[in-house]
Amino acid sequence: MKSRLINGLLALLMFAVASGVSVADDGALVIYSGRSDKFVKPVVEAFTRETGIQVVLHSAKSTALLNKLRVEGARTQADLYISNDAGNLQLGSDLGLFEPLDGKLVEDIPANLRAPDNTWVGLSARARVLVVNTRQSRTAFVKSVFDLADPRLKGRLGITNSSNESFIAGTTVYMLKAGKEATRQWLQGMKDNAEGQVFNKHSKIVAAVAEGRKDIGLVNHYYIYRHLAKHPEAPVKILLPDQGDGGMGVAWNVAGVAVSKFSHRKEQAGRLVRFLVSREGQEIFARVNREYPTRGGVAADPAIPPVSSYKVADVPMAELARQRNATIDLLEEVGMP
Amino acid sequence: MAVLLHKDRLLSLATGGIVTLAAIPLLFVAYTSLQLNASEWAGLWSSRMPGLLWNTFLLVILVAAGCLVLGVSAAWLIARRQFPGRTAALWLMVLPLTIPTYVFAYVYTSLLESHGWLGRLWVGLFGEGVPVPDLYNAVGVALILSLSGFSYVFLMSYAALRRSNPHLEEAARIQGATSREVFWHITLPLLRPAIAAGLAVVTLHVLSDFGAVSMLRYQTFTLSIYLQMTGRFDYEAAAGLSLVLVMLALTFLVFERFFRSRQRFYFGSRVKRVTPRRASRGELILIWSWLGLIALLAFVLPLLWMLSWSWTAWTQKAIGVEFWGYLGNSLLVAFAAATIAVFAALPIGYYYNRVRSWLSALYLHLSSIGFVLPGPVVALGALTFILTALPALYGGLLALVLVLVVRFLPLAVQSQESALQQLTPSIEQAGRILGAGPVENLRRVVLPMIRGGMISAWVLVFIDVMKELPATLILRPIGFDTLPVRIWIEASEEMLELAAPAALLLLVGSLPAMWIVMRGEKAR
Repeated sequence: MKSRLINGLLALLMFAVASGVSVADDGALVIYSGRSDKFVKPVVEAFTRETGIQVVLHSAKSTALLNKLRVEGARTQADLYISNDAGNLQLGSDLGLFEPLDGKLVEDIPANLRAPDNTWVGLSARARVLVVNTRQSRTAFVKSVFDLADPRLKGRLGITNSSNESFIAGTTVYMLKAGKEATRQWLQGMKDNAEGQVFNKHSKIVAAVAEGRKDIGLVNHYYIYRHLAKHPEAPVKILLPDQGDGGMGVAWNVAGVAVSKFSHRKEQAGRLVRFLVSREGQEIFARVNREYPTRGGVAADPAIPPVSSYKVADVPMAELARQRNATIDLLEEVGMP
Repeated sequence: MAVLLHKDRLLSLATGGIVTLAAIPLLFVAYTSLQLNASEWAGLWSSRMPGLLWNTFLLVILVAAGCLVLGVSAAWLIARRQFPGRTAALWLMVLPLTIPTYVFAYVYTSLLESHGWLGRLWVGLFGEGVPVPDLYNAVGVALILSLSGFSYVFLMSYAALRRSNPHLEEAARIQGATSREVFWHITLPLLRPAIAAGLAVVTLHVLSDFGAVSMLRYQTFTLSIYLQMTGRFDYEAAAGLSLVLVMLALTFLVFERFFRSRQRFYFGSRVKRVTPRRASRGELILIWSWLGLIALLAFVLPLLWMLSWSWTAWTQKAIGVEFWGYLGNSLLVAFAAATIAVFAALPIGYYYNRVRSWLSALYLHLSSIGFVLPGPVVALGALTFILTALPALYGGLLALVLVLVVRFLPLAVQSQESALQQLTPSIEQAGRILGAGPVENLRRVVLPMIRGGMISAWVLVFIDVMKELPATLILRPIGFDTLPVRIWIEASEEMLELAAPAALLLLVGSLPAMWIVMRGEKAR
């Protein structure tokens, strides 16, 4: 009876080991993906159809995957790393985890949307914008993100919690453009206006504004259009902040890809990058989430404001990594919820 | 005598080996925190520590109180009263264990939104003017963790109430004590070891919880450690905080053990089981309103939420065959890890029970405190160790299983220990006198006696592994997704219609394990 149990246990262990081996398919490219499967799968599947190269998506949070890459070092199984946030990409680059991409490969992507040494390249961009309810006029005075600290918005403002990657990246841009002190006061004002109630999802902010529970919110642009696609009659519209003379412009952040320095399949990995920055890849990658393609000349979703129609804050994406700790310090000093 | 000595030494060696493996994440933490210099420690101490200590302490107290009220009251009602639907009530009190804390947090935050079910109910009751309460505070987090954890206290109190000796209570009653006096002076004190064991498990879960606190943004040690690690890549500060957390847990465990060590009750073998009294009509209404309320909040509402979203997914044809793969992966990992953990835990508890020495106590404590280490820290420690010492294992399923064994070994040790306590020295001696050798004694006397304890330990570990998220997220083989991983991926992208079926499957997949532990507890 006991020996049967032990035999069973051993068999189970062998099975576990065997299936562990079978999971890691040797032929396939492995992507550590910090982006939702739903947004990466379509473009990866198109790549496999075109080249016959299999791809395995290993999804988790961007930061956790970067930690994993860092600890694994040369032993990593990852060939590529996809992140939602330029800060993570640059951090990985600073840690020496990525292989510089061939300059020719990425020359179609504007220089400010990739690493200075081409260790990563931006694939899609998102804008940090305001969403407003169209059935009220209490927010008519708002022209800049800094107006969100105005006490007139007390209880009417929707923001995410401050550990959100996009929130941190946006705050970094404002800090670089307006200075630390102004940003501190801005955060303090928003904290008062939020009255301790922050949202854990951007989509919930848009829903709250649409239902009139809030008047205005700070979100990434695609959440507005995702909501409008589901509820075309919703009374929400986009407000592009900080335009006009002297305005700092809208904060951008990119999702991007890097090739691991320790990949054994750099050639295939390079082909995937080439596909991702190609016209076809860019169209799929940007379309699935209504983001801006980073490659010039590829049309974005017609619903979103054209890139040429507004001013973007001129902060190199690489700065998002360098100032990240300073931003987190500031958020903690203020005690942002 | 020589044989006995030899056997104990062997046992000690085996225990030492297992404990050393289990302590690897702890050693990693200790080693990494050594990199902090004095001024960095001082900085940590003055800036974060007071707030974190207070938040964590407050949460532990609130959750312990919540679990005590929910768990002990339900256990007493079901163990001591005969009423229609008693078996169903028993099940409803343990089923919350199949729902992870992050699912609880997710369900309740969405139910409490102003257009959620509870939000609308609130507005209907109190009008628009009164804001719907939210969970982003100590009380909210404590509520979530109590709902997901009270079942531990319930299970242990219920088992103790069922097997407790009725003679003491009868004697007290004969002496003229009122029911209330009997409860406070006899029943409750006899329950103390069981309650303490249940609360210990709950507290260790609270200290190491990552899912609910991160979703509700309540800064405990675990969340702060995670943010240090992933937000800032500051492993040293994370390790420093982890070390303080471990110290806290150690203090707590020593305290709890001291409390329990004076509370060993040996029951005679001819224990008459307590026969529950038939509930009167008035009692019946009270019992079912109370148990019904608990069941509604801790199980029925989350279940309905999952069903309703899964139905949406079903009608949108969003549920594919891959969900069965996730379920299979979860079951495989949980089965393997639980089985290994139970057998690995056996020598530790057995050694402590046989030989009371500083060494056996040290082993026991060393194997227990690892439980409070946050999952990401355990994973990182194990990752570093595997990469340097056992690179061949890296990236395989075995590595994940072993790390989960290490993570949940303390739970197996804790829950087997109470069974081992039933092994009075005289029982083993009796076996030996009757001519059984050490091995035969183990096989024919010891194992059958503690089989129940081993099974419940297996189930507890199985269920925890089924729900485990942070370590699995970091250590799973490439492309290997379990149900919690899917829940997390879908929920973080707001794909509720895909997160809900995964949560539902997780619940269903845990049911056979629940059945195993409940099988012996049919309401009689």
